[in-house]
Amino acid sequence: MKRMAGSDDDTETVAQARAGDADAFRRLVERHSRNVFHLAYRMTRNEHDAEDVVQEAFLKAYRSLDRFEERAHFGSWIYRIAANCAYDSLRARERRQENADPVAIDDTNNGPALELPSGEPAPDRLAFGGEVRRRVSLAMLRMSALERSAFTLRHFEGMSIEEIGRVLDLDASAAKQSVFRAVRKVREALGRDPGLRPTT
Amino acid sequence: MSHPSEDELILHYYGEGGASPAVEAHLASCAACSQAFADLRADLSSVTEEPIPARGEEHGEKVWRDLQPRLRLRSVRRGPAVRWWAPAALAASLVAAFLVGRHFPAGGPSSAPIPEHARDRIFLVMVGDHLERSEMVLLEVANAEGSEPVDVRSAQESAENLVAANRLFRLSARRAGEPGVASVLDELERVLLEVAHGPSTQGPEARAQLRRRLEAGDILFKVRVLESTVRSKEKQMAAVPGTTS
Repeated sequence: MKRMAGSDDDTETVAQARAGDADAFRRLVERHSRNVFHLAYRMTRNEHDAEDVVQEAFLKAYRSLDRFEERAHFGSWIYRIAANCAYDSLRARERRQENADPVAIDDTNNGPALELPSGEPAPDRLAFGGEVRRRVSLAMLRMSALERSAFTLRHFEGMSIEEIGRVLDLDASAAKQSVFRAVRKVREALGRDPGLRPTT
Repeated sequence: MSHPSEDELILHYYGEGGASPAVEAHLASCAACSQAFADLRADLSSVTEEPIPARGEEHGEKVWRDLQPRLRLRSVRRGPAVRWWAPAALAASLVAAFLVGRHFPAGGPSSAPIPEHARDRIFLVMVGDHLERSEMVLLEVANAEGSEPVDVRSAQESAENLVAANRLFRLSARRAGEPGVASVLDELERVLLEVAHGPSTQGPEARAQLRRRLEAGDILFKVRVLESTVRSKEKQMAAVPGTTS
């Protein structure tokens, strides 16, 4: 799992913040906000939502400072809180869109809607990174909030499935299944046929 | 071992699971599975990170600027001299003043009446703060982390006091002819009551249940919208010359 920088300096700053020093908390915000934003953006793929997640994550951290374990790294702690907030944000977005065509809505940020490949892939087209990226983006749009969160945390953030479960408040099996479903959606979008496997 | 499933190959790709050495050995001896794994690896390797919008050194400062006003609430909550009943009691007196002003606009029982505009503005500030505090309490309980039961007695005490204030705001909204506002406050009150009268220790399932309850009714969303409306109305009133308090 990726760790956030600044942990050596954080111990004392966190202690000061816990003692009620608002300026100390400001330093923690300034030190970690960009990393939190990066994570939030990777998960939400929306700049505005990512900024909201940054706010929510630091607010939640501030309210939970009493529960922060002194020996833990603040960077890792805020990172997990942010991942949870981003998941909440995705779920909220999902609820707002549940009566609408998900592709049509989300394509406002991703160009015109794409049709999923129905047959064999076109390797020559897929050789172009842009086309792959568009298909992956489409797959991400078709993932549920849970699948997208679990996949992002596993694939981009290198978080273990067990840790994903803890962050998203799931058991490990549910986290694992979410990653599986997400990978299948990515592969379908890329035009693979994951069903073709030798039998036992 | 038998041919690994796609799921097992996915776990293997990500280095998860204790069966990896067995999968590795199988892949070395089975051309079909080796090809399947190569395909999977090619697919997943093509999923690369999207460009992330740049944020400069000043980002933290901006985040802090936006965050700071929201953090003040915590110091109010935690300060030894200020208790949760204080907002509720203040709310009660303001609601009373508000209602008295509505129903006895002139020559009423108050010997030193607050000007109507100022009274309305203070009332809006109180409602906005009440909604924000309610949201905080609900989120504090619903989003508590970890798999262990959490002691929520402090949040329950807060919820209990918020219920009292909420009842007054709901009553005044109804009397002022705002059924939509009253309806949101009514929904909020039900959830606050559930928290206030629920178990003092809540496990992950109880917290998940509360989250589902909040999501099902979009309660937090409605509360945020109402809060935003109230704050915006209050700002508009503040912008009118001669009305700043």
